[in-house]
Amino acid sequence: MKKVMIGNHAVSWGVQRARVEVISAYPITPQTQIVEELSDMCADGRLPARYIKVESEHSAMAACIGASAAGVRTFTATSAQGLALMHELLHWAAGGRLPIVMADVNRAMAPGWNIWTDQNDSLSQRDTGWIQLYCETNQEVFDTTIQAFRLAETVNLPVMVILDAFFLSHTSEPVELTDQEIVDEFLPKRVAQYKLDPADPHAFGALVRPDAYMEMRWQQQEAMRETLTLMPEIDEAWAELTGRRYGAIENYRTEDAELLLVTSGTITSTARHVVDERRERGEAVGLVKVKMFRPFPTGALREALAGADRVAVLDRNISPGHGGIFAEEIRSALYDVPLEDRPRLFGYVLGLGGRDVTPAVIDSIVDRTWSADQAERQDLWVGVEL
Amino acid sequence: MSDITEPNRTGRDIPPIAISRTTTEVNPTGSWKYIQPRYEDRVAPCNAGCPVGIDIEGYLYLLGQGRTAEAAALLLEENPMPAVTGRVCHHPCEDGCNRANLDEPVAIHSVERRLGDIALAGPAPTPPETLRDERVAVIGSGPAGLAAAYHLARLGYRVTVFEAAPEAGGMLRLGIPEYRLPRAILDRQIDRIAALGVDIRCSTAIGRDIEWSELDEFDAVFAAPGAHVGKDARIESSDAAPTIRAGLEFLKEVNAGARPALGDHVIVVGGGNTAMDCARSALRLGSVVTVLYRRTPLEMPAIPQEVKEAKLEGVGFQFLATPAAARVEDGRLLGIECQRMELGPPDDSGRRRPMPVEDGRFSMIADFVLTAIGEDCDLAFLPDGVEITGGVATVDELCESTTARVFVGGDAADLPRSVADALGSGKRAALGIDQWLREQAGEDPGELDVAALRFGASGNVSIARKRGTDPLHRAAPVNEVVEFDGMNPVHFKPAARNEDHFHSAGDISASFGEVNFGLSDREMSDEVERCMNCGVCNRCELCLIFCPDMAIHRREDGEGFEIDLRYCKGCGLCAAECPRGAMAMSREES
Repeated sequence: MKKVMIGNHAVSWGVQRARVEVISAYPITPQTQIVEELSDMCADGRLPARYIKVESEHSAMAACIGASAAGVRTFTATSAQGLALMHELLHWAAGGRLPIVMADVNRAMAPGWNIWTDQNDSLSQRDTGWIQLYCETNQEVFDTTIQAFRLAETVNLPVMVILDAFFLSHTSEPVELTDQEIVDEFLPKRVAQYKLDPADPHAFGALVRPDAYMEMRWQQQEAMRETLTLMPEIDEAWAELTGRRYGAIENYRTEDAELLLVTSGTITSTARHVVDERRERGEAVGLVKVKMFRPFPTGALREALAGADRVAVLDRNISPGHGGIFAEEIRSALYDVPLEDRPRLFGYVLGLGGRDVTPAVIDSIVDRTWSADQAERQDLWVGVEL
Repeated sequence: MSDITEPNRTGRDIPPIAISRTTTEVNPTGSWKYIQPRYEDRVAPCNAGCPVGIDIEGYLYLLGQGRTAEAAALLLEENPMPAVTGRVCHHPCEDGCNRANLDEPVAIHSVERRLGDIALAGPAPTPPETLRDERVAVIGSGPAGLAAAYHLARLGYRVTVFEAAPEAGGMLRLGIPEYRLPRAILDRQIDRIAALGVDIRCSTAIGRDIEWSELDEFDAVFAAPGAHVGKDARIESSDAAPTIRAGLEFLKEVNAGARPALGDHVIVVGGGNTAMDCARSALRLGSVVTVLYRRTPLEMPAIPQEVKEAKLEGVGFQFLATPAAARVEDGRLLGIECQRMELGPPDDSGRRRPMPVEDGRFSMIADFVLTAIGEDCDLAFLPDGVEITGGVATVDELCESTTARVFVGGDAADLPRSVADALGSGKRAALGIDQWLREQAGEDPGELDVAALRFGASGNVSIARKRGTDPLHRAAPVNEVVEFDGMNPVHFKPAARNEDHFHSAGDISASFGEVNFGLSDREMSDEVERCMNCGVCNRCELCLIFCPDMAIHRREDGEGFEIDLRYCKGCGLCAAECPRGAMAMSREES
């Protein structure tokens, strides 16, 4: 069934198809429509789940942790300050190895108060132990939400499904809503390895001494490592059923490219357009889209980027005092590439707080990247006027 | 993550998460507590407000559980005629309903009516297997007499009811119009009482058809003759006016099937239910009807719904007015002179006393005047030893009069004059007679603690609690009415009350068919769901859900919960979260 819907509702429908059993959430712009639609689904019976109302995002995540620990499929959604308020519990979810799926609608952090998109909210949670998947289209949002549960429940790690505020959350696109039977085949009922059981009561999350703590962290890291190979496999399994695949990264017209753009989120769609135009003009420009940020697909990115002459990373985020976060991670990944294959890296910071990133903006970046010998500074800010 | 140092594989078993190796049952957290919770039912305000003494909350609970037959049984334990009261009771149960603090009271009367109709369709009751030797005479087959007969018969007594009128029912048949209480319902309800072995002898008035002395063969007598003598409205008249009549006499005629022509303009004097019944009956006979009431709508004793329906049907009202003199010409009533009134200071009833306004005379056209300003009892048939004060017999709380063997109740005792109060009176009389007869028989029935049988401090008694026949087998509650403040309303969602469906008021002329159709099944279950079960555990399981120690368990018999005090650490969450105030905390008992 194909329906025209906003990105937020694509999340809701993904959750519905995934037969989620417990939802706990607190509203925040621009996420609210996700859980509004879900509460309607719970009320009218389209989704036989328990919807737990709470008084904050901290409580929402706490309720999800409880429910997930009880062995059921669990979902929440948030944005920006709401995600920041969850911070402590993001560690509890990941350290408890609970396969919670959360949608984060990327919104700039306040102050100044701003409801528009950038990636600093999710990237601030980089080290909490959550898998992070960035989406480009509403269809990808729907598909990724379903895939996220299978991924989370296979490796026992929580997954953040991330979409841009307004450019996806509030923009309508046609979405193929995969039939329930197909989703059921892809995503069976969750079977929890450990769960709260009154018949065999155990304490969860209690004291772990130095002699075992590091071993637990090792196992968490191994699960992340497993995810690097598992995520593309799950994506492929979904593609076999639906014909739609995305990959941890996607190479777009990268063959023999001398200049590669690296993007994530909706900037990717704009950048595809620019790449097509440049290719028509005979320029060797290509695009690498990064979907999975954690675990970081270091090997795949090295393979994709090594050999190119120049790499321009477009970061809709900033690590204050350092640079664009994707750019710095990629710079680090390329360090082990032999010097002769190592591209020159240009880290552009742009589009913060929802500022438009138009084809003209990306054109200017391409021109600038062609013309410079090397980046004159670590972070190249685009369009700042003072 | 490409260069990973592999760990030394030493065979240590470290789980991926922080989980205790042993069960947490090794830590009996109950040792931490100094206070502990307990389940303790209290009294719902509906129960305390019911003059019949019905466990309303109990049958609503059973209906909510889908246990309809048991709900009907519980209702019938206390009320012999729910299909009647569901239609005509003034439902004071709803006045105290805590739900009013959230949105609106539960429509208890509508549920009772529906459940009463369901019970009517069920098998008729049968007499008890073993009967006692004693015989009891009941005078009057109104609600008080029939209630006493019903409960006495169920207690095993042989009951004979003497009724002056040709058919049983008392004021239910003579006073209440058919459009409020269809005769088929009343007949079937009375048939079920007769099915218990009660012998009902109609057209048999004491002092008219048989003498009091003929009752000597009975071991006890319960007199519930009702109040059948309309008070005189004292309308001055120079000439006899045959069309000024007691409203009750008119109602009796109409209710017996007569359809008298009253003329174009009818004035009904009074503001009670008899006045409303007269007005609406006269309207159905084709007259233009005006009710004359000396106070304001606020002081009217009639059931508000009756007043509302009367207005909808087209009855006119003149408030703050009283009839003073009739204008009669050639023996024909032309109209009445009325006196305009105003309200002065409160009188004995607590209502503001109406006072005449100077120069406040006005006249109204009237072909017929029906007076309905109250009724008196005719107690002349009672033996001399029965003390009469203020027109009613002096009795104790179990209806025992000042003469041995004689009990008096219903309108003939000092009670609010309602069907429900009469039913409650008959039940208390049955308890009193049972107690008295057992004492006479040399049994030792023990002291009857009436207060312990009451719902709350002032509610009526529960005979099921006395007899131990409550199908819920609940322990007697703490006899304290739960108020809204003692509950936790956050767990209740607002839901609008379902109102009865009424016949369209447009077409009532000449029709005495029932005007109130009650609720649908769906609406009834919605109302059942709206009940908050104040003060009583309804197995909602919130205590179990909120207990952080999982120390609360469902009992194996399905009736409630038990608290595992080895693990309850006395946090009090269960009692605080209980939506209905049915849990309490107290110091730990060793």
